[in-house]
Amino acid sequence: MNAHENLENVDRDGWFVKAAATMGDLGNPFYREERQRDVWNEASAVGLQLVLWLGLGTAAAMVWLGGPPALPYAFAVFVVLGAASGVSLFYAHKLGVRMDGAGRVLRLRLVPYVVLLVLFFVGVVRAAPSSEFGVGLAWGAAVGGVVAVVSLVRSGLRAQRREQRGKV
Amino acid sequence: MGRTSARGRRNAVRVARTALGITQADLAGEIGVTRQTVIAVEAGDYAPSVYLALAIAGHLGCTVEQLFGEELDADRPGLSINQKASL
Repeated sequence: MNAHENLENVDRDGWFVKAAATMGDLGNPFYREERQRDVWNEASAVGLQLVLWLGLGTAAAMVWLGGPPALPYAFAVFVVLGAASGVSLFYAHKLGVRMDGAGRVLRLRLVPYVVLLVLFFVGVVRAAPSSEFGVGLAWGAAVGGVVAVVSLVRSGLRAQRREQRGKV
Repeated sequence: MGRTSARGRRNAVRVARTALGITQADLAGEIGVTRQTVIAVEAGDYAPSVYLALAIAGHLGCTVEQLFGEELDADRPGLSINQKASL
């Protein structure tokens, strides 16, 4: 998808964008002052990244230190992080901004995230209760996580190839 | 450095404003931003949107190019004698 197609697909009047704008209080008069808005956007990005770091680290520590009893709580933290990240990405996507470009995905700064994710999923498998259901759930989560990471890297590689073709 | 920063690029907003005897607070009130935003723009610490740049230029009687153009020199056309002298 190129930038032109992105703009054609902008859906500012859709229910999701409206609901997200309400949740984010984007109609607040504070946002009318552009520097305040821009600086707050930067601050929010910093906050989101920090929450992702701390949340992933906390979830990984919970499964490694807390063992099986900590699994539901660690999953809860993980789901909350996933929801926040997903809403952010989907909101950007709805307004024509894709975050899966090579410049976004294939960066060394994402390596610690991947390491924390791997730590989390390995910890989940390790702490999984011995019941068949628990093992299945843990393996399902772990395989899903690996698939998500691989998909992310693949989309980054595809975007890189697209960008290289575009330069020719 | 944040993406909103103008990365220390110079501009002629302060020169044009002081030449007209307008305070930062007055200019901020006229164009609907906070005084801190005017300070940040003048310091090159904030890159204004095209709309804000147009508003600033309109209130200072200059063009956007005169205030924010790539070349900042005393020969810039459109600035008054006092403004050029200040540069």
